[in-house]
Amino acid sequence: MAEGSGARGAIDALSRDEIRRRQLEQLQVMLNRAYFHVDFYRRRMDEAGILPEALGSIEDLRRFPFTTSGDLAQRYPYGLFAEPLRSIVRLKITSDSEGNPIVVGFTRRDVAMWQSLMVRLYERVGVTDRDIVQVAFNFSQFPGAFTFSQAAEMLGATMAPSATASATLQLKIMRDFRSTVLATTPAFALHIADVLECGRAGMDRSELNLRVVLLGPDPVADAARERIEAVLRTPVYGLYGVTEMVEPGLAGECPGKDGLHAAEDHFLLEIVHPVTGEPVPEGSEGELVVTTLTTEAYPLIRYRTGDVTTLRTTACACGRTSARIAPVLRRTDSRTSVRGNPVYPEHVGAILRKLDPGILDYRLIVHTRYGMGEQLDVLVVRPVGEGFPGGGRSQYLEMLRSHVRRGVGVGARVQLVDPERLPREGLGDKVVFRSEPLSCETD
Amino acid sequence: MAIRGGAERGMRAMLEVKNLSAHYGSIQVLRRVTLHVTEGEIVTLVGANGAGKSTLLRVVSGLHRATEGEVLFQGEPIHRLRPERIVRLGLVQAPEARQLFPNLTVLENLELGGMLHGKQRIAEAMEETFALFPILPERRRQKAGTLSGGEQQMLSIARALMTRPRLLILDEPSLGLAPLIVEEIHRTISVLHERGVTILLVEQNAMGALSIAERAYVIETGRIMLTGSAQELIEHDDVQRAYLGKDYKYKWER
Repeated sequence: MAEGSGARGAIDALSRDEIRRRQLEQLQVMLNRAYFHVDFYRRRMDEAGILPEALGSIEDLRRFPFTTSGDLAQRYPYGLFAEPLRSIVRLKITSDSEGNPIVVGFTRRDVAMWQSLMVRLYERVGVTDRDIVQVAFNFSQFPGAFTFSQAAEMLGATMAPSATASATLQLKIMRDFRSTVLATTPAFALHIADVLECGRAGMDRSELNLRVVLLGPDPVADAARERIEAVLRTPVYGLYGVTEMVEPGLAGECPGKDGLHAAEDHFLLEIVHPVTGEPVPEGSEGELVVTTLTTEAYPLIRYRTGDVTTLRTTACACGRTSARIAPVLRRTDSRTSVRGNPVYPEHVGAILRKLDPGILDYRLIVHTRYGMGEQLDVLVVRPVGEGFPGGGRSQYLEMLRSHVRRGVGVGARVQLVDPERLPREGLGDKVVFRSEPLSCETD
Repeated sequence: MAIRGGAERGMRAMLEVKNLSAHYGSIQVLRRVTLHVTEGEIVTLVGANGAGKSTLLRVVSGLHRATEGEVLFQGEPIHRLRPERIVRLGLVQAPEARQLFPNLTVLENLELGGMLHGKQRIAEAMEETFALFPILPERRRQKAGTLSGGEQQMLSIARALMTRPRLLILDEPSLGLAPLIVEEIHRTISVLHERGVTILLVEQNAMGALSIAERAYVIETGRIMLTGSAQELIEHDDVQRAYLGKDYKYKWER
């Protein structure tokens, strides 16, 4: 692990050469631990005919095999743990694209590491112990929300916890508590902005003390950022975390808002061609591949995130030397996001077909506002005249709706449609996006 | 901004060991060991007997040739230099088991250490050294071989200090000493560090070394298996397990 998060040894202040040197040191330790503590990695390396000590430079990492979310799900629950359960203090659950569960473990030191990263992101955008941080997440759907809260506490910033209260109530809390920082999802921040602008909260921006908005774990679309900044009149910053690692904070923006600075003391980032797996030239778009350098319980070696981005190591205007990634706005797969929840269309399709094998086709209609997924509609086509499994038409739709909700964690409207009414788009990945205008009528 | 500021003490790496592999005959003892000691730091390398600690030190001091990798001291490669040249650059070891000249007096042992920089500098260095180790002036005429184990260890460190090292490497200074004496040695090492000496402390006695170091590396069968701040490693289950001799058979065992 790096030398604390304090001034001394801060990774962001080192030269690129020095950062690479430290990464090499940590990477060798990580490969040794993975090889000797995790059967999966040992077998993978043995199959590839490679030992940890084959790594003499960071470039040598290319010779090591990739790890995918499928690998994680196949070794459910504890197959990728490098530490005995006795050393694990936290378990979090996530899933792969088919909805198969993945369990990620954390040692005490892992928890401290993730918290320190979140503290770093708060500090980077100017949050201090004078601030009141309002953390507005659905804690049950986004376990990383706890880290937002705990980091705010560590920083000494007072925390006004508020999870799933309505936007109106959020604004009331924001005004009454004099919150200066809002940490939430981009979708919810947009909603709060709407409610404020439409006057439904019965208050004006001038009554708020808000000065920083930090959004995650979804990337913030440019249009959404502009909209939130315009209405809330405060800078909006984004952060990045790998979904399967559950925790946010792997990278985050600085006030320059020109890319997200990666925590290179804890992670090694590569960008590879999504199909060939070969490295792409610096600055070119490709799939982000993450290797953990310090995590103990759950080491990831060359993990394919499925997130498409670019990586730059050029100097940032803020003076930090750490590499920056661009906000992730595309995926190598068809995963999409609705109100901050990852949704895989093939997962939805599998849920539908399991309930009703007779389904002919389906589409996911993702209603977006300012580039962010807000509402999910599922259109289903089935043979005309056939009886409905599970009773009548309404029971059938209710059954599909509740299973989709439970399976993907997002409420959806399910409709039966005629084949000719199914959108022409989305033939391949089954997803269609519809941009929605602002409406002041609904909440 | 919190991360800025010039208060960072010595960001320059004093010692850099990079990808170091070493063999004794056909047996590989070190497997791509990479570590560093930054100027002003006190770093410990802990590991069991036979883990490769001594081999690493022998390579760093120029007594054993690496089969692969490099050692940089203040940015300069030293892995092809002769041992005496390395000492002259300021990388000095206080060897394991003290290795004093038992038939020479305390004073003579110290003078030999100071010869490196010429006779006129000896008096000055001697004064500083005596200030650090008040027991030594009392024993100055005594033969080194007649000192107690703890005193011999003090003398060994003092002799290394007579060369005015930039980096002091201590090889198992607590070996074979009573716990109270070990504490005293550790206090002395802490004082040296506070006075600005950069220290690499190599120890089997993990808990003692971690209690005075800032950062640490754990070496097992020639590989670095763990690294972090000393505070983190003291609390680390692996270290606790190794130290307390507990082990587990299955990951899910509690």
